[in-house]
Amino acid sequence: MKKNKLWIPVFLAPACILFLLIYAVPLVLVFITSFFDYRLMPNRFTFIGLDNYIQLLTSDPVFAEAFRNTVVWIAIHCTVHVFIGTLLAFILYKKPRGWKFVRVSYMIPNIISQSAIAMIFLNLFNPQYGVINSLLGAVGLESFQHNWLFERATAFPSVTMTWLLFAGYTTTLVLAEALSVDESLIEAARVDGASSFQIDLFIMFPMVKKMIGTTVIMAATYMLQLFSLIYITTGGGPQTATTNLPLMLYQTAMKENNYGYANTIGVFIIIVGMITMVIINKAFKMNESDY
Amino acid sequence: MKKQLTAKEGVLITLKYLFMLLCVLVALFPIVWVIMSSFKTNKEILSNGLALPTQFNFNGYRDALQISPILQFFSNSVVITVISTFINVLALAMAGYVFARCRFRLKNALFLLLSASMVIPTTSLLHPVYLVINKIGLTDTKTALILVYAALSMPLSLMIMRSTFQAIPPSLEEAAYVDGAGFCRTFFQIMLPCAKGGLASAGVLAFLNGWNEFTFALVLTSSTSVRTLPLALGYFTSSFSFNYTAMFAAITIAVIPSILVFAIFQEQIVNSLIAGSVKG
Repeated sequence: MKKNKLWIPVFLAPACILFLLIYAVPLVLVFITSFFDYRLMPNRFTFIGLDNYIQLLTSDPVFAEAFRNTVVWIAIHCTVHVFIGTLLAFILYKKPRGWKFVRVSYMIPNIISQSAIAMIFLNLFNPQYGVINSLLGAVGLESFQHNWLFERATAFPSVTMTWLLFAGYTTTLVLAEALSVDESLIEAARVDGASSFQIDLFIMFPMVKKMIGTTVIMAATYMLQLFSLIYITTGGGPQTATTNLPLMLYQTAMKENNYGYANTIGVFIIIVGMITMVIINKAFKMNESDY
Repeated sequence: MKKQLTAKEGVLITLKYLFMLLCVLVALFPIVWVIMSSFKTNKEILSNGLALPTQFNFNGYRDALQISPILQFFSNSVVITVISTFINVLALAMAGYVFARCRFRLKNALFLLLSASMVIPTTSLLHPVYLVINKIGLTDTKTALILVYAALSMPLSLMIMRSTFQAIPPSLEEAAYVDGAGFCRTFFQIMLPCAKGGLASAGVLAFLNGWNEFTFALVLTSSTSVRTLPLALGYFTSSFSFNYTAMFAAITIAVIPSILVFAIFQEQIVNSLIAGSVKG
Protein backbone atom coordinates (compact mmCIF):
# COMPACT_ATOMS: atom_id res chain seq x y z
CA MET A 1 0.00 0.00 0.00
CA LYS A 2 3.07 2.25 0.26
CA LYS A 3 2.79 3.59 -3.25
CA ASN A 4 -0.72 4.77 -2.49
CA LYS A 5 0.40 7.30 0.13
CA LEU A 6 -0.13 9.97 -2.50
CA TRP A 7 -3.83 9.33 -2.58
CA ILE A 8 -4.35 9.91 1.14
CA PRO A 9 -4.29 13.73 1.01
CA VAL A 10 -6.43 13.69 -2.12
CA PHE A 11 -9.05 11.60 -0.35
CA LEU A 12 -8.97 13.78 2.75
CA ALA A 13 -9.02 17.09 0.90
CA PRO A 14 -12.78 17.52 0.26
CA ALA A 15 -13.72 16.82 3.88
CA CYS A 16 -10.94 19.08 5.16
CA ILE A 17 -11.95 21.93 2.86
CA LEU A 18 -15.55 21.71 4.09
CA PHE A 19 -14.30 21.61 7.66
CA LEU A 20 -12.06 24.63 7.19
CA LEU A 21 -14.69 26.75 5.43
CA ILE A 22 -17.68 26.06 7.62
CA TYR A 23 -16.17 25.14 11.01
CA ALA A 24 -12.53 26.04 11.55
CA VAL A 25 -12.32 29.51 10.00
CA PRO A 26 -15.71 30.63 11.41
CA LEU A 27 -14.73 29.31 14.83
CA VAL A 28 -11.55 31.40 14.81
CA LEU A 29 -13.49 34.40 13.50
CA VAL A 30 -16.17 34.14 16.16
CA PHE A 31 -13.56 34.28 18.92
CA ILE A 32 -11.47 37.07 17.41
CA THR A 33 -14.33 39.36 16.46
CA SER A 34 -15.88 39.02 19.91
CA PHE A 35 -13.06 41.30 21.10
CA PHE A 36 -13.88 43.99 18.55
CA ASP A 37 -16.39 46.77 18.18
CA TYR A 38 -17.39 45.52 14.77
CA ARG A 39 -20.48 46.86 13.05
CA LEU A 40 -21.75 47.88 9.67
CA MET A 41 -23.43 51.19 10.35
CA PRO A 42 -21.43 53.16 11.33
CA ASN A 43 -18.71 51.07 9.77
CA ARG A 44 -16.36 50.20 12.60
CA PHE A 45 -13.75 47.61 13.45
CA THR A 46 -11.77 48.50 16.56
CA PHE A 47 -10.26 46.35 19.25
CA ILE A 48 -12.07 46.82 22.55
CA GLY A 49 -10.80 43.90 24.59
CA LEU A 50 -13.40 42.43 26.91
CA ASP A 51 -15.92 45.28 26.59
CA ASN A 52 -18.45 43.17 24.69
CA TYR A 53 -18.30 40.51 27.37
CA ILE A 54 -18.62 43.03 30.17
CA GLN A 55 -21.59 44.74 28.56
CA LEU A 56 -23.26 41.41 27.87
CA LEU A 57 -22.87 40.15 31.41
CA THR A 58 -23.50 43.31 33.40
CA SER A 59 -25.80 45.64 31.53
CA ASP A 60 -27.87 43.88 28.92
CA PRO A 61 -31.37 42.96 30.12
CA VAL A 62 -32.16 41.25 26.80
CA PHE A 63 -29.18 38.96 27.19
CA ALA A 64 -30.14 38.22 30.79
CA GLU A 65 -33.59 37.14 29.69
CA ALA A 66 -32.36 35.23 26.63
CA PHE A 67 -29.76 33.46 28.75
CA ARG A 68 -32.29 32.59 31.44
CA ASN A 69 -34.80 31.32 28.87
CA THR A 70 -32.15 29.18 27.20
CA VAL A 71 -31.04 27.64 30.48
CA VAL A 72 -34.63 27.00 31.61
CA TRP A 73 -35.40 25.39 28.26
CA ILE A 74 -32.30 23.21 28.45
CA ALA A 75 -33.32 22.10 31.95
CA ILE A 76 -36.92 21.36 30.94
CA HIS A 77 -35.86 19.59 27.77
CA CYS A 78 -33.20 17.45 29.45
CA THR A 79 -35.68 16.28 32.10
CA VAL A 80 -39.30 16.28 30.90
CA HIS A 81 -38.60 15.60 27.23
CA VAL A 82 -36.06 12.85 27.87
CA PHE A 83 -38.30 11.36 30.58
CA ILE A 84 -41.25 11.07 28.20
CA GLY A 85 -39.10 9.50 25.50
CA THR A 86 -37.45 7.08 27.91
CA LEU A 87 -40.75 6.08 29.50
CA LEU A 88 -42.13 5.23 26.07
CA ALA A 89 -38.99 3.24 25.23
CA PHE A 90 -39.36 1.26 28.47
CA ILE A 91 -42.93 0.41 27.52
CA LEU A 92 -42.08 -0.48 23.93
CA TYR A 93 -39.09 -2.75 24.57
CA LYS A 94 -41.42 -5.41 25.97
CA LYS A 95 -42.98 -5.38 22.51
CA PRO A 96 -46.64 -4.81 23.38
CA ARG A 97 -49.15 -4.97 20.56
CA GLY A 98 -48.55 -2.16 18.06
CA TRP A 99 -45.11 -1.17 19.38
CA LYS A 100 -43.60 -0.79 15.92
CA PHE A 101 -46.40 1.49 14.81
CA VAL A 102 -45.96 3.64 17.90
CA ARG A 103 -42.20 3.87 17.35
CA VAL A 104 -42.57 4.95 13.74
CA SER A 105 -45.38 7.43 14.23
CA TYR A 106 -43.71 9.02 17.23
CA MET A 107 -40.66 9.77 15.06
CA ILE A 108 -42.58 11.70 12.41
CA PRO A 109 -42.61 15.12 14.13
CA ASN A 110 -38.82 14.81 14.46
CA ILE A 111 -38.16 14.24 10.77
CA ILE A 112 -40.33 16.98 9.29
CA SER A 113 -38.94 20.49 9.17
CA GLN A 114 -39.11 22.66 12.26
CA SER A 115 -40.57 25.46 10.21
CA ALA A 116 -43.49 23.22 9.27
CA ILE A 117 -43.98 22.31 12.93
CA ALA A 118 -43.82 25.99 13.79
CA MET A 119 -46.47 26.80 11.17
CA ILE A 120 -48.64 23.97 12.43
CA PHE A 121 -48.49 25.24 16.01
CA LEU A 122 -49.09 28.80 14.90
CA ASN A 123 -52.40 27.47 13.62
CA LEU A 124 -53.14 25.08 16.48
CA PHE A 125 -52.77 27.98 18.89
CA ASN A 126 -54.62 30.43 16.65
CA PRO A 127 -57.16 32.29 18.79
CA GLN A 128 -59.79 32.26 16.03
CA TYR A 129 -59.88 28.78 14.54
CA GLY A 130 -57.09 26.95 16.39
CA VAL A 131 -57.67 23.53 17.88
CA ILE A 132 -56.85 24.49 21.47
CA ASN A 133 -59.42 27.26 21.67
CA SER A 134 -61.97 25.23 19.69
CA LEU A 135 -61.64 22.41 22.20
CA LEU A 136 -61.93 24.75 25.16
CA GLY A 137 -64.96 26.34 23.56
CA ALA A 138 -66.55 22.97 22.89
CA VAL A 139 -66.42 21.97 26.55
CA GLY A 140 -67.60 25.37 27.74
CA LEU A 141 -64.32 26.72 29.07
CA GLU A 142 -64.33 29.93 27.05
CA SER A 143 -62.75 31.76 29.97
CA PHE A 144 -59.58 29.72 29.49
CA GLN A 145 -59.20 30.69 25.85
CA HIS A 146 -56.11 32.72 25.12
CA ASN A 147 -54.14 34.17 22.27
CA TRP A 148 -51.66 31.56 23.36
CA LEU A 149 -48.48 32.55 21.55
CA PHE A 150 -48.88 36.29 21.87
CA GLU A 151 -49.90 36.93 25.46
CA ARG A 152 -47.12 37.45 27.92
CA ALA A 153 -48.41 34.92 30.43
CA THR A 154 -48.93 32.07 27.96
CA ALA A 155 -46.27 32.64 25.29
CA PHE A 156 -43.42 30.85 27.06
CA PRO A 157 -45.26 27.63 27.95
CA SER A 158 -47.04 27.63 24.56
CA VAL A 159 -43.87 27.92 22.52
CA THR A 160 -42.30 25.23 24.72
CA MET A 161 -45.06 22.86 23.60
CA THR A 162 -43.83 23.09 20.01
CA TRP A 163 -40.90 20.82 20.85
CA LEU A 164 -41.28 19.41 24.35
CA LEU A 165 -43.48 16.39 23.62
CA PHE A 166 -41.78 15.20 20.45
CA ALA A 167 -39.23 12.83 21.97
CA GLY A 168 -39.00 10.44 19.03
CA TYR A 169 -35.21 10.48 18.87
CA THR A 170 -34.93 9.66 22.57
CA THR A 171 -37.43 6.83 22.29
CA THR A 172 -35.76 5.38 19.20
CA LEU A 173 -32.26 5.46 20.68
CA VAL A 174 -33.12 4.16 24.16
CA LEU A 175 -35.36 1.53 22.63
CA ALA A 176 -32.60 0.32 20.30
CA GLU A 177 -30.25 0.06 23.27
CA ALA A 178 -32.85 -1.78 25.38
CA LEU A 179 -33.59 -4.24 22.60
CA SER A 180 -29.89 -5.08 22.32
CA VAL A 181 -29.72 -6.17 25.99
CA ASP A 182 -29.21 -9.91 26.37
CA GLU A 183 -32.62 -11.43 27.04
CA SER A 184 -31.26 -14.24 29.19
CA LEU A 185 -30.37 -11.60 31.77
CA ILE A 186 -33.98 -10.51 32.07
CA GLU A 187 -35.18 -14.10 31.97
CA ALA A 188 -32.86 -14.98 34.86
CA ALA A 189 -34.19 -12.09 36.93
CA ARG A 190 -37.75 -13.13 36.21
CA VAL A 191 -37.02 -16.70 37.30
CA ASP A 192 -35.60 -15.27 40.52
CA GLY A 193 -38.97 -13.64 41.10
CA ALA A 194 -38.24 -10.02 40.16
CA SER A 195 -41.32 -8.02 39.19
CA SER A 196 -41.40 -6.30 35.84
CA PHE A 197 -40.98 -2.96 37.60
CA GLN A 198 -37.90 -4.25 39.44
CA ILE A 199 -36.44 -5.54 36.17
CA ASP A 200 -36.94 -2.13 34.57
CA LEU A 201 -35.38 -0.31 37.48
CA PHE A 202 -32.50 -2.55 38.51
CA ILE A 203 -31.51 -4.27 35.28
CA MET A 204 -32.74 -2.34 32.29
CA PHE A 205 -32.11 1.16 33.57
CA PRO A 206 -28.41 0.64 34.39
CA MET A 207 -27.94 -1.05 31.01
CA VAL A 208 -29.33 1.87 29.03
CA LYS A 209 -28.11 4.65 31.30
CA LYS A 210 -25.33 5.73 28.97
CA MET A 211 -27.69 5.96 26.05
CA ILE A 212 -30.04 8.09 28.14
CA GLY A 213 -27.04 10.30 28.89
CA THR A 214 -26.40 10.61 25.16
CA THR A 215 -30.00 11.63 24.54
CA VAL A 216 -29.73 14.22 27.33
CA ILE A 217 -26.71 15.69 25.54
CA MET A 218 -28.63 15.68 22.27
CA ALA A 219 -31.53 17.41 24.02
CA ALA A 220 -29.25 20.11 25.41
CA THR A 221 -27.53 20.68 22.05
CA TYR A 222 -30.93 20.86 20.38
CA MET A 223 -31.97 23.65 22.72
CA LEU A 224 -28.78 25.59 21.92
CA GLN A 225 -29.60 25.39 18.19
CA LEU A 226 -33.26 26.17 18.58
CA PHE A 227 -34.21 28.92 16.17
CA SER A 228 -36.96 28.45 13.61
CA LEU A 229 -39.58 27.16 16.04
CA ILE A 230 -39.36 30.44 17.95
CA TYR A 231 -38.62 32.71 15.00
CA ILE A 232 -41.74 31.64 13.12
CA THR A 233 -44.17 31.33 16.04
CA THR A 234 -43.52 34.17 18.49
CA GLY A 235 -40.46 35.85 16.97
CA GLY A 236 -39.07 35.96 20.49
CA GLY A 237 -41.89 38.08 21.85
CA PRO A 238 -43.97 39.44 23.41
CA GLN A 239 -41.07 41.82 24.02
CA THR A 240 -38.33 39.32 24.83
CA ALA A 241 -40.40 36.76 26.75
CA THR A 242 -39.48 33.90 24.40
CA THR A 243 -36.11 35.07 23.10
CA ASN A 244 -33.26 32.59 23.40
CA LEU A 245 -29.55 32.96 22.68
CA PRO A 246 -29.63 31.92 18.99
CA LEU A 247 -32.53 34.27 18.33
CA MET A 248 -30.77 37.13 20.07
CA LEU A 249 -27.61 36.37 18.09
CA TYR A 250 -29.57 36.46 14.85
CA GLN A 251 -31.23 39.76 15.70
CA THR A 252 -27.99 41.37 16.84
CA ALA A 253 -26.08 40.24 13.77
CA MET A 254 -28.63 40.47 10.99
CA LYS A 255 -31.02 43.20 12.15
CA GLU A 256 -28.72 45.52 14.11
CA ASN A 257 -25.57 44.58 12.17
CA ASN A 258 -23.66 44.64 15.45
CA TYR A 259 -21.37 41.79 14.53
CA GLY A 260 -18.81 41.90 17.32
CA TYR A 261 -21.52 41.81 19.94
CA ALA A 262 -23.40 39.05 18.13
CA ASN A 263 -20.28 36.92 18.01
CA THR A 264 -19.75 37.42 21.72
CA ILE A 265 -23.17 35.78 22.12
CA GLY A 266 -21.88 33.07 19.78
CA VAL A 267 -18.90 32.45 22.07
CA PHE A 268 -21.36 32.21 24.97
CA ILE A 269 -23.43 29.60 23.17
CA ILE A 270 -20.29 27.54 22.61
CA ILE A 271 -19.27 27.90 26.27
CA VAL A 272 -22.75 27.01 27.55
CA GLY A 273 -22.62 23.97 25.27
CA MET A 274 -19.28 22.84 26.66
CA ILE A 275 -20.34 23.34 30.28
CA THR A 276 -23.61 21.45 29.81
CA MET A 277 -21.77 18.63 28.15
CA VAL A 278 -19.28 18.32 31.00
CA ILE A 279 -22.08 18.36 33.59
CA ILE A 280 -24.10 15.72 31.76
CA ASN A 281 -21.04 13.55 31.23
CA LYS A 282 -20.30 13.73 34.95
CA ALA A 283 -23.92 13.05 35.93
CA PHE A 284 -24.16 9.95 33.78
CA LYS A 285 -20.55 8.86 34.34
CA MET A 286 -20.31 8.45 30.59
CA ASN A 287 -16.56 8.05 30.50
CA GLU A 288 -16.44 5.13 32.89
CA SER A 289 -16.64 1.73 31.32
CA ASP A 290 -18.19 -0.17 34.18
CA TYR A 291 -19.70 -3.06 32.26
CA MET B 1 -49.81 -20.91 32.54
CA LYS B 2 -51.60 -17.61 32.01
CA LYS B 3 -52.76 -16.45 35.39
CA GLN B 4 -55.66 -14.12 36.10
CA LEU B 5 -54.65 -10.48 36.03
CA THR B 6 -54.93 -8.73 39.35
CA ALA B 7 -56.70 -5.38 39.48
CA LYS B 8 -53.38 -3.60 39.86
CA GLU B 9 -51.93 -5.25 36.80
CA GLY B 10 -55.06 -4.43 34.85
CA VAL B 11 -54.73 -0.76 35.70
CA LEU B 12 -51.05 -0.79 34.75
CA ILE B 13 -51.75 -2.32 31.36
CA THR B 14 -54.52 0.16 30.69
CA LEU B 15 -52.21 3.01 31.63
CA LYS B 16 -49.50 1.61 29.39
CA TYR B 17 -51.74 1.50 26.32
CA LEU B 18 -53.19 4.87 27.21
CA PHE B 19 -49.71 6.38 27.25
CA MET B 20 -48.84 4.76 23.92
CA LEU B 21 -52.06 6.09 22.43
CA LEU B 22 -51.34 9.55 23.80
CA CYS B 23 -47.86 9.58 22.25
CA VAL B 24 -49.25 8.59 18.86
CA LEU B 25 -51.96 11.23 19.11
CA VAL B 26 -49.51 13.95 20.09
CA ALA B 27 -47.27 13.03 17.16
CA LEU B 28 -49.83 12.51 14.44
CA PHE B 29 -52.76 14.74 15.30
CA PRO B 30 -51.14 18.08 14.32
CA ILE B 31 -50.11 16.74 10.93
CA VAL B 32 -53.42 15.04 10.26
CA TRP B 33 -55.19 18.24 11.24
CA VAL B 34 -53.13 20.27 8.79
CA ILE B 35 -53.68 17.84 5.92
CA MET B 36 -57.38 17.73 6.72
CA SER B 37 -57.63 21.52 6.87
CA SER B 38 -55.91 21.86 3.50
CA PHE B 39 -59.05 20.38 1.92
CA LYS B 40 -61.49 22.64 3.71
CA THR B 41 -62.72 26.01 2.51
CA ASN B 42 -61.70 29.19 4.26
CA LYS B 43 -65.19 29.48 5.71
CA GLU B 44 -65.15 25.95 7.08
CA ILE B 45 -61.80 26.56 8.74
CA LEU B 46 -62.98 29.75 10.39
CA SER B 47 -66.36 28.47 11.53
CA ASN B 48 -65.13 25.25 13.11
CA GLY B 49 -61.44 24.39 13.29
CA LEU B 50 -62.10 20.81 14.31
CA ALA B 51 -64.80 19.74 11.83
CA LEU B 52 -64.01 17.38 8.97
CA PRO B 53 -64.06 18.86 5.47
CA THR B 54 -67.49 18.55 3.87
CA GLN B 55 -65.93 17.78 0.51
CA PHE B 56 -62.44 17.33 -0.82
CA ASN B 57 -61.40 20.31 -2.85
CA PHE B 58 -57.92 20.97 -4.09
CA ASN B 59 -58.39 24.73 -4.43
CA GLY B 60 -55.95 25.31 -1.60
CA TYR B 61 -53.19 23.57 -3.53
CA ARG B 62 -54.02 25.48 -6.69
CA ASP B 63 -54.00 28.77 -4.78
CA ALA B 64 -50.79 27.94 -2.94
CA LEU B 65 -49.05 27.31 -6.26
CA GLN B 66 -50.50 30.44 -7.82
CA ILE B 67 -50.03 32.97 -5.05
CA SER B 68 -46.54 32.01 -3.99
CA PRO B 69 -43.56 30.67 -5.94
CA ILE B 70 -43.75 27.50 -3.86
CA LEU B 71 -42.82 25.30 -6.84
CA GLN B 72 -39.69 27.38 -7.31
CA PHE B 73 -38.83 26.97 -3.62
CA PHE B 74 -39.55 23.27 -3.87
CA SER B 75 -37.22 22.79 -6.83
CA ASN B 76 -34.53 24.92 -5.12
CA SER B 77 -34.81 22.66 -2.10
CA VAL B 78 -34.51 19.55 -4.26
CA VAL B 79 -31.45 20.84 -6.14
CA ILE B 80 -29.66 22.10 -3.03
CA THR B 81 -30.42 19.09 -0.85
CA VAL B 82 -29.63 16.46 -3.47
CA ILE B 83 -26.29 18.00 -4.46
CA SER B 84 -25.21 18.73 -0.90
CA THR B 85 -26.13 15.21 0.17
CA PHE B 86 -24.11 13.81 -2.73
CA ILE B 87 -21.07 15.95 -1.87
CA ASN B 88 -21.38 15.16 1.82
CA VAL B 89 -21.58 11.42 1.32
CA LEU B 90 -18.83 11.26 -1.29
CA ALA B 91 -16.41 13.51 0.59
CA LEU B 92 -16.91 11.69 3.86
CA ALA B 93 -16.89 8.24 2.31
CA MET B 94 -13.44 9.09 0.92
CA ALA B 95 -12.26 10.51 4.23
CA GLY B 96 -13.88 7.72 6.22
CA TYR B 97 -12.18 5.12 4.05
CA VAL B 98 -8.76 6.66 4.59
CA PHE B 99 -9.38 6.89 8.33
CA ALA B 100 -10.53 3.28 8.46
CA ARG B 101 -7.74 1.75 6.36
CA CYS B 102 -4.64 3.87 5.99
CA ARG B 103 -1.96 4.81 8.46
CA PHE B 104 -0.45 8.25 8.34
CA ARG B 105 1.00 10.83 10.65
CA LEU B 106 -1.46 12.83 12.79
CA LYS B 107 -4.31 10.55 11.78
CA ASN B 108 -5.91 10.42 15.23
CA ALA B 109 -5.49 14.13 15.79
CA LEU B 110 -7.12 14.91 12.47
CA PHE B 111 -9.99 12.54 13.13
CA LEU B 112 -10.56 14.05 16.55
CA LEU B 113 -10.53 17.53 15.05
CA LEU B 114 -13.01 16.68 12.32
CA SER B 115 -15.40 14.93 14.68
CA ALA B 116 -15.07 17.70 17.27
CA SER B 117 -17.23 19.82 14.99
CA MET B 118 -20.08 17.72 16.36
CA VAL B 119 -20.00 19.48 19.73
CA ILE B 120 -20.21 23.01 18.32
CA PRO B 121 -23.74 24.41 18.20
CA THR B 122 -23.62 25.67 14.61
CA THR B 123 -25.99 28.58 15.25
CA SER B 124 -23.11 30.19 17.15
CA LEU B 125 -21.21 30.40 13.85
CA LEU B 126 -24.03 32.15 12.01
CA HIS B 127 -22.25 35.42 11.31
CA PRO B 128 -18.72 34.10 10.64
CA VAL B 129 -20.13 31.57 8.16
CA TYR B 130 -21.95 34.45 6.49
CA LEU B 131 -18.63 36.32 6.36
CA VAL B 132 -16.79 33.41 4.80
CA ILE B 133 -19.51 32.84 2.22
CA ASN B 134 -19.42 36.55 1.46
CA LYS B 135 -15.63 36.58 1.07
CA ILE B 136 -15.63 33.73 -1.43
CA GLY B 137 -18.34 35.52 -3.38
CA LEU B 138 -21.19 33.09 -2.87
CA THR B 139 -23.74 35.32 -1.12
CA ASP B 140 -27.28 34.49 -2.17
CA THR B 141 -26.36 31.48 -4.30
CA LYS B 142 -27.41 27.85 -4.19
CA THR B 143 -23.74 26.90 -4.01
CA ALA B 144 -23.47 28.60 -0.61
CA LEU B 145 -26.23 26.48 0.88
CA ILE B 146 -24.88 23.37 -0.81
CA LEU B 147 -21.50 23.90 0.85
CA VAL B 148 -22.97 24.69 4.26
CA TYR B 149 -25.37 21.74 4.23
CA ALA B 150 -22.65 19.36 3.07
CA ALA B 151 -20.59 20.52 6.05
CA LEU B 152 -23.37 20.53 8.65
CA SER B 153 -23.93 16.79 8.32
CA MET B 154 -20.20 16.15 8.27
CA PRO B 155 -19.47 14.75 11.75
CA LEU B 156 -22.30 12.25 11.61
CA SER B 157 -21.46 11.04 8.11
CA LEU B 158 -17.79 10.71 9.04
CA MET B 159 -18.61 8.44 12.00
CA ILE B 160 -20.98 6.35 9.93
CA MET B 161 -18.63 5.95 6.96
CA ARG B 162 -15.56 5.13 9.02
CA SER B 163 -17.31 2.40 10.95
CA THR B 164 -18.86 1.07 7.75
CA PHE B 165 -15.44 0.66 6.11
CA GLN B 166 -13.95 -0.78 9.29
CA ALA B 167 -16.55 -3.53 9.16
CA ILE B 168 -15.64 -4.58 5.61
CA PRO B 169 -13.03 -7.40 5.58
CA PRO B 170 -9.65 -6.18 4.21
CA SER B 171 -9.25 -9.36 2.15
CA LEU B 172 -11.55 -7.81 -0.46
CA GLU B 173 -9.16 -4.99 -1.21
CA GLU B 174 -6.11 -7.19 -1.05
CA ALA B 175 -7.61 -9.31 -3.80
CA ALA B 176 -8.16 -6.17 -5.87
CA TYR B 177 -4.58 -5.01 -5.33
CA VAL B 178 -3.24 -8.41 -6.31
CA ASP B 179 -5.23 -8.07 -9.52
CA GLY B 180 -3.38 -4.82 -10.13
CA ALA B 181 -6.13 -2.30 -9.36
CA GLY B 182 -4.94 1.06 -8.01
CA PHE B 183 -5.98 2.79 -4.80
CA CYS B 184 -8.56 4.97 -6.48
CA ARG B 185 -10.08 2.22 -8.57
CA THR B 186 -10.25 -0.13 -5.62
CA PHE B 187 -12.15 2.49 -3.65
CA PHE B 188 -14.69 3.39 -6.32
CA GLN B 189 -15.23 -0.04 -7.84
CA ILE B 190 -14.81 -2.42 -4.92
CA MET B 191 -15.24 -0.56 -1.63
CA LEU B 192 -18.04 1.91 -2.39
CA PRO B 193 -20.46 -0.79 -3.59
CA CYS B 194 -19.69 -2.77 -0.43
CA ALA B 195 -20.52 0.23 1.73
CA LYS B 196 -24.02 0.78 0.35
CA GLY B 197 -25.66 0.43 3.76
CA GLY B 198 -23.49 3.09 5.34
CA LEU B 199 -23.84 5.37 2.33
CA ALA B 200 -27.62 5.14 2.60
CA SER B 201 -27.61 5.82 6.35
CA ALA B 202 -25.35 8.84 6.01
CA GLY B 203 -27.19 10.05 2.92
CA VAL B 204 -30.69 9.88 4.38
CA LEU B 205 -29.73 11.85 7.44
CA ALA B 206 -27.81 14.43 5.40
CA PHE B 207 -30.82 14.73 3.12
CA LEU B 208 -33.27 15.32 5.96
CA ASN B 209 -30.92 17.78 7.67
CA GLY B 210 -30.59 19.78 4.47
CA TRP B 211 -34.23 19.56 3.49
CA ASN B 212 -35.35 20.85 6.89
CA GLU B 213 -32.63 23.43 7.57
CA PHE B 214 -33.89 26.95 8.20
CA THR B 215 -31.43 29.23 9.98
CA PHE B 216 -28.56 29.31 7.48
CA ALA B 217 -30.97 29.47 4.56
CA LEU B 218 -32.52 32.54 6.15
CA VAL B 219 -29.20 34.29 6.65
CA LEU B 220 -27.33 33.29 3.50
CA THR B 221 -30.03 33.80 0.86
CA SER B 222 -32.46 36.51 -0.08
CA SER B 223 -33.85 35.98 -3.58
CA THR B 224 -36.70 33.73 -4.60
CA SER B 225 -34.57 31.89 -7.13
CA VAL B 226 -32.36 30.57 -4.32
CA ARG B 227 -34.49 30.24 -1.19
CA THR B 228 -35.70 26.90 0.08
CA LEU B 229 -39.02 25.41 1.12
CA PRO B 230 -38.72 25.85 4.91
CA LEU B 231 -38.32 29.59 4.31
CA ALA B 232 -41.30 29.65 1.98
CA LEU B 233 -43.45 28.59 4.91
CA GLY B 234 -42.28 31.58 6.91
CA TYR B 235 -43.65 33.87 4.19
CA PHE B 236 -47.09 32.38 4.66
CA THR B 237 -47.61 34.07 7.99
CA SER B 238 -47.86 37.40 6.24
CA SER B 239 -48.71 36.96 2.58
CA PHE B 240 -51.31 34.27 3.12
CA SER B 241 -52.98 35.71 6.14
CA PHE B 242 -56.42 35.50 4.55
CA ASN B 243 -56.17 32.30 2.55
CA TYR B 244 -55.87 29.66 5.25
CA THR B 245 -56.64 26.80 2.91
CA ALA B 246 -53.66 27.70 0.75
CA MET B 247 -51.44 27.99 3.80
CA PHE B 248 -52.42 24.53 5.03
CA ALA B 249 -51.84 23.19 1.53
CA ALA B 250 -48.37 24.72 1.48
CA ILE B 251 -47.50 23.15 4.84
CA THR B 252 -48.69 19.81 3.51
CA ILE B 253 -46.50 20.20 0.41
CA ALA B 254 -43.48 20.89 2.63
CA VAL B 255 -44.10 18.01 5.00
CA ILE B 256 -44.92 15.18 2.60
CA PRO B 257 -41.40 14.64 1.11
CA SER B 258 -39.87 14.25 4.57
CA ILE B 259 -42.50 11.74 5.58
CA LEU B 260 -42.02 9.81 2.33
CA VAL B 261 -38.25 9.69 2.73
CA PHE B 262 -38.74 8.55 6.31
CA ALA B 263 -41.25 5.88 5.32
CA ILE B 264 -38.87 4.46 2.73
CA PHE B 265 -35.63 4.70 4.73
CA GLN B 266 -36.86 4.08 8.30
CA GLU B 267 -34.27 1.40 8.94
CA GLN B 268 -31.34 3.54 7.75
CA ILE B 269 -32.51 6.52 9.75
CA VAL B 270 -32.62 4.51 12.95
CA ASN B 271 -29.20 3.03 12.15
CA SER B 272 -27.62 6.36 11.45
CA LEU B 273 -29.11 7.84 14.61
CA ILE B 274 -27.54 5.06 16.62
CA ALA B 275 -24.23 5.44 14.81
CA GLY B 276 -24.28 9.17 15.42
CA SER B 277 -25.07 8.86 19.09
CA VAL B 278 -21.96 6.84 19.92
CA LYS B 279 -19.98 9.85 20.95
CA GLY B 280 -20.16 10.00 24.75
